[in-house]
Amino acid sequence: MSSVSEGLAVSRRSREWTRTTLVFAALLALFFVSLLVSICAGRFGVPVGRALALVWQGATDPSRPLTAMDERIVLLVRAPRVLLAAMAGAGLAVCGAALQGVFRNPLVSPDILGISQGAAFGGALAIMLGIWGLPLIAMVFLTGMAALVAVGFLARVDGRTETVTVILSGLVVSSMFAAVVSLLQFVADPESSLPAIVYWLMGSFASATWERTLIAAPGLLIGAALLWSLRFRLNILSLEEAEAKSLGAKTERERWLVFGLVAVIVGSQVAVSGIVGWIGIVIPHAARLLVGHDHRVMLPASIVLGATFTIIIDTLARTATAAEIPLGVITALVGAPIFAVLLRRHYRERSSR
Amino acid sequence: MTSRLPATMTHVRKALVGLALCAAFAVHPVLAEEIVFKDQTGRELRLAKPAERVVSIVIPMASTLIALDGGTSKLVGMNPTAKSAITQGILGKIFPQARDIASDVTSPSFVPNVEALAAVNPDLVVQWGSEGEDKVAPLVNAGLNTMLILYGTEELTRDYMTMAAKAIGRPERIGQLVDWRDSVQKEIAAKVAAIPEDKKPRVLYLGRALTDLRASGTKGNYTEWSVELAGGRNAAAELAGTVSINKEQIATWNPDVILLNAFEADLDPNWVYNDPIVSLTNAARNHKVYKLPLGGYRWDPPSQESPLSWMWMANLLHPEIFHYDLRAQMKQAYKTLYNYDLADADIDGILWVAKQGDATDYQQFKTR
Amino acid sequence: MTGAMVGLTQASVRFGARTVIDRLSFTVPVGRSLAILGPNGRGKTTALRAMLGFQRLDAGSRTAPAIVGYVPQSSASNQRLKAIDIAVMGRAAHLGLFRQPGEQDFAVARSALDRTGAARFADEPFDRLSGGERQLVLLARALATGSPVLVLDEPGAALDLHNQQRLLVLLESLRQERHKAIVFTTHDPNHALAAADDALLMLPDGSALFGSVEEMMTPAHLERLYGVPMRLVDLHGPSGVRHKAVLPAFAGARAA
Repeated sequence: MSSVSEGLAVSRRSREWTRTTLVFAALLALFFVSLLVSICAGRFGVPVGRALALVWQGATDPSRPLTAMDERIVLLVRAPRVLLAAMAGAGLAVCGAALQGVFRNPLVSPDILGISQGAAFGGALAIMLGIWGLPLIAMVFLTGMAALVAVGFLARVDGRTETVTVILSGLVVSSMFAAVVSLLQFVADPESSLPAIVYWLMGSFASATWERTLIAAPGLLIGAALLWSLRFRLNILSLEEAEAKSLGAKTERERWLVFGLVAVIVGSQVAVSGIVGWIGIVIPHAARLLVGHDHRVMLPASIVLGATFTIIIDTLARTATAAEIPLGVITALVGAPIFAVLLRRHYRERSSR
Repeated sequence: MTSRLPATMTHVRKALVGLALCAAFAVHPVLAEEIVFKDQTGRELRLAKPAERVVSIVIPMASTLIALDGGTSKLVGMNPTAKSAITQGILGKIFPQARDIASDVTSPSFVPNVEALAAVNPDLVVQWGSEGEDKVAPLVNAGLNTMLILYGTEELTRDYMTMAAKAIGRPERIGQLVDWRDSVQKEIAAKVAAIPEDKKPRVLYLGRALTDLRASGTKGNYTEWSVELAGGRNAAAELAGTVSINKEQIATWNPDVILLNAFEADLDPNWVYNDPIVSLTNAARNHKVYKLPLGGYRWDPPSQESPLSWMWMANLLHPEIFHYDLRAQMKQAYKTLYNYDLADADIDGILWVAKQGDATDYQQFKTR
Repeated sequence: MTGAMVGLTQASVRFGARTVIDRLSFTVPVGRSLAILGPNGRGKTTALRAMLGFQRLDAGSRTAPAIVGYVPQSSASNQRLKAIDIAVMGRAAHLGLFRQPGEQDFAVARSALDRTGAARFADEPFDRLSGGERQLVLLARALATGSPVLVLDEPGAALDLHNQQRLLVLLESLRQERHKAIVFTTHDPNHALAAADDALLMLPDGSALFGSVEEMMTPAHLERLYGVPMRLVDLHGPSGVRHKAVLPAFAGARAA
């Protein structure tokens, strides 16, 4: 190989590396800006300087009692909510990215596959039976996992599965769980369980308190961290079965590991904020557009982008009007058209290959 | 013809005819004629005779029908949320048989259960006309006589109560109830007219608080209308309809008075005082947090006890202007409505004296 | 890596009533190169998959190291990754589940790409490469695994002549290094002549013949294999060295 072409390759490599670094720097900057803006934004006017000072105080002296309204708003209402939105968004995005890798299909996500609905069923059942706290999260995790098993079984994941088969399997599973949840609503006590179930299903970060945020945090953070460290492995798992196995992957086992982590993340998220859709499908695609298909960069990009996106839309939901705009409305308004574009592009590419 | 009966015989005959007619009246208190009317969506209803078996999918109407009829014999089905008001409140004590009336005939959200309805065999069903065609169609398709009513204003309320009274053959009952409402409303409104806007406290009514936080704008919402009647201003007036809100918004509104709904049995003023955000509002700081009473029905939505609700609100919002003797008014009203003598303990229960007896201006409602 | 080898012992595979391979035995030790020949549908692919461990055996056993350097005919997945990212996947077994490839791993991948002549397009996306270039990248990935065994599935099948030659030269040079056990399936007996020590002929009647290339590449055996008369010809290769080539009887035009 000539030294000229070698030199060219090296300089292209370093340009690539620089571009990726710049993109990540921009994404991280955007994340921190959105974090700060969200803390400062809200229906209750708090001057920016004061809000930032309060955050600083809260971080450096967490045991200080909070007596003024603006202190409590910033540190007890906004701060946990913004953090929960960020973690949930990051979690859902990385789940979407991982599922898309394992299913070799860019059109899947936790809610499309029915995992969120399965988890919601577990939560609704727990509420009806009067179960709270950690046992509720355990139930949510189990039913989310059950949904994954059902989809995996229906779509026959080993071997090459058609895009449409997987999505249809997801549709079947999510419809089934949604139906059972409806049934639960019918049977639930209209005084206590029913309103709780109905509200739960809607999907919202409005009920975020430090307690709930800290309950969800371990599942969200640990799950996401483990999926993040599986990013190289996902490149392998998204190969054809034979290729993946020949490279040493125990495909069946490793897929189930990914599924388990997804169930933990989605379970934690659904347990405290209900069904939140569209993030898992839209964010990984945006990440791919920005940094490419290599999971080693795409997963981290999804995490940061997912967190940023969710912070922004949740801030909109709680600030745009006096009423709380349901999160599902905003995510669907943004997500559905993007999904339509993705679907079209997927079929256009398939027919042109 | 020249022969005439003796004058006394004519009188006797008239008397006999009169007696016969009286006897006829005594046996049939109402003339046996068809009842025809239009419900609030303009549908025509024809009842061959007064309804004997009424199902009310509409929540407040269950207790209204009991009040109009003076008993539970005509009510054969109600909404589960109406049933909970009865089991939790005084109506279940006044009319214990009410606890046995079927409540599986509908879901809480007014979706009729046609099989359960068929089982109780109603001759009249009362349903909301404003909840959508899919909640009406099953009734109409089953061939049930359905009376559709509309929610939100005092005019509509009086109108549908009058309609209901006619339908069950107790039109004589409604007159005095409507007159009572009218006179109390006019009385309160007249005094409120003289209050300048800035002296009217800003009142936030929380339709839901425990799971979801909900508040409403004023248009088409009865509780908010009552608040304005009683001389308050709806703190949530900018909202369009009934929507979810968050605590930050409550802090922004900073209401002077907070009214808690009577639907959530586990909700009491401590919820406000224990909440880090809501406890810092004007209302909480001044201890002006009141849970709406649960009497024969809850005092938030329109019911046969609405005037008591207005008096309660007026006394609390403007204690310097309104001095209704609420306990006396309640005793009188319950006698008229239910033929029941309210004990002091009953009144304390209805007004939640145990939960909020030490709220600002609540002393006036306690026993002397 | 003495002792490492790949092969099948008395292996049988049945699909329903049909026996696809019947008591097949062969081994390829490190340092030898085997070409598997046969018409379509006679079990070439099945034998390959059985060797790789992707096909369940109804009888017999398979010998192979834990990781085999597998070069598929094409790779429809991961099209958009760069060649170097595909090559470094070969290090997966070495890294385990949670680790990421580092300097060392990329160095191994790059030198593998270098070895297959693919280094100059290492940073190109896979789907922008030609069929031949893609094969070289996939071969680099197999080399990067460090496995003593290389298995290639019809490596020349979809390639044009130029790329076939490049690949065969590469396979031959790998064979000459005597560091690996190499197995490849092929349609073309000339590939066996160019790059293999031994040949396995999967005959139409279900039996198989195994032996050195010299023993197997006879017109008689090949005619039995393909059902077409074959001729062996002597040629002078480009560098003047004498070559043998195999041609089907219908090849060539009658000289005037």
